[in-house]
Amino acid sequence: MSTLRNVAIVGFAQLPVVARDEHHVTTDMIYMAVRQALTNCGVEPGAIEYQISGSTDYTDGRPFGFAAALDAMGCWPPKQDLHLEMDAAFCVYYAWLRMQAGDCDTALVVGHGKTSEGDPNRVANLQLDPYYQAPIGLDLKSTAALQASAYMTRTGTTDRDLAAIAARNRTAGARNPDNQVRHAATAEELLQTPWDVEPLRTGYVPPIGESATCLIMATEEKASALCDRPVWIHGIDQRVEMQTLGARDLSRSASAQLAGQNACAMADLKGATEVDLLELFATTPVEELILCDALGIDPKTARPAINPSGGPLCAHPIMNTGLIRMGEVFRQLSGRADGRAVPGARRGIAHATQGHCLQHNLVCVLGTERRWS
Amino acid sequence: MNEPPKEPVKQIKAHMWLPYNYVAGDYKARFLRALKHKKILGSKCSKTGKVFVAPVMNSAESFAPANEFVEVADRGVITTFCIVNIPVIGRTLALPYACASVALDGADISIFTLIQECEAKNVRMGMRVEAVWKPDGEREGSWDDILHFRPTGEPDAPQASYINRL
Repeated sequence: MSTLRNVAIVGFAQLPVVARDEHHVTTDMIYMAVRQALTNCGVEPGAIEYQISGSTDYTDGRPFGFAAALDAMGCWPPKQDLHLEMDAAFCVYYAWLRMQAGDCDTALVVGHGKTSEGDPNRVANLQLDPYYQAPIGLDLKSTAALQASAYMTRTGTTDRDLAAIAARNRTAGARNPDNQVRHAATAEELLQTPWDVEPLRTGYVPPIGESATCLIMATEEKASALCDRPVWIHGIDQRVEMQTLGARDLSRSASAQLAGQNACAMADLKGATEVDLLELFATTPVEELILCDALGIDPKTARPAINPSGGPLCAHPIMNTGLIRMGEVFRQLSGRADGRAVPGARRGIAHATQGHCLQHNLVCVLGTERRWS
Repeated sequence: MNEPPKEPVKQIKAHMWLPYNYVAGDYKARFLRALKHKKILGSKCSKTGKVFVAPVMNSAESFAPANEFVEVADRGVITTFCIVNIPVIGRTLALPYACASVALDGADISIFTLIQECEAKNVRMGMRVEAVWKPDGEREGSWDDILHFRPTGEPDAPQASYINRL
């Protein structure tokens, strides 16, 4: 692996995830997150060269809805800007690329999505093809349930297994003040929750929340001035699969596996087992199992810790959920994880996904030390 | 079975139904409530003192909070305008009519509004205009509480007074 520029996460801020923030419009929420992240770094927007946001106009309910976010991102005097119709975690990848190209040394990444103003399940339905899949009403939960069925049949995973995974997330999540669901639940309790879309119970899927998030990145030259303990990108890769659900094996994630292998290789790790914690964008226990399989992790292992934040089962603000994984690993490795800190954590993996049934996966290996000397 | 259908399928219809329920937010809610009482509120930038109408949480320009509410006048000056000569969906006004950008007295950015009660050809930059409100009892805390703007008859404002608010 050739030498690349050392790039760090130097700041992260998020609004606590809620079902509906009645007091703030999207731009208010973005401003509060950006203001907080910049304040944490001790700088004004002028210190940031490049900015990039992730959101979907279907959440905003207007074409080019992301353009409104510019008023709350500090882009005056004018800046280089990019928007992705993707979870904001994918923006980190693009900002990292720009830094590798030498285009900028500092970047501000914003995620936003006021999901309560629209109907995310209707939007998720429209994401599918309009001929065969959308008309029958498939949405995020029903495609996740199809995937769960496929996985459980192939592997013999039981309802009780899913309950145990959900319970571990819920127990961890009770320690995270930014979570929407903050009460712990046992596997026994979750097994009693009603079917949502069978084989998924209401206890195995998160409520859709809303938030705004801001993550600040910097190259080696600028990082130490912005953060006392920068968290360095050691490896990063993202891979996407076919859109047609019937065209791929839903019980496996080839894209997560490949992205994981490439990110670990870039980080000079033999595999994901070498890190101390994983933050996985898994919105169901089955997604967590499929991702663990893809990354070669035993889901029952104590180390690496899986989703010490509580994961997406405790907070799923669409378009932000992936960036929060990045932010959580940053918090863990920079001594900012408070009551949910994984002791002695020096390396972690942040994962993000989007599309139905883990269509597109990003894996980012982060560490407390610079990757390249 | 292998015969081509007599009337081949050439298209399918896909209907989208995406309802939205927008939050007004504390800033807009206060602004809208004030309209009911014929008051127009702006928010003042804590760094530059610029006043934004409708009120916003932050100055996009300075990035400082704009958290002080101030009342601005319901009259101001036309800073730019256009004449509409073609029918617009949802509007039944007699053509032609003027739409203008109006810098209210006390505000540092303009609002966009309809100019009525004068011939479109007489509308000009610098013209003084005032809001025409819905009558008492009919206002409901909506931007529609202002029906339109009309000329006040005052002398035109000198260009220097609005050149920085275009």
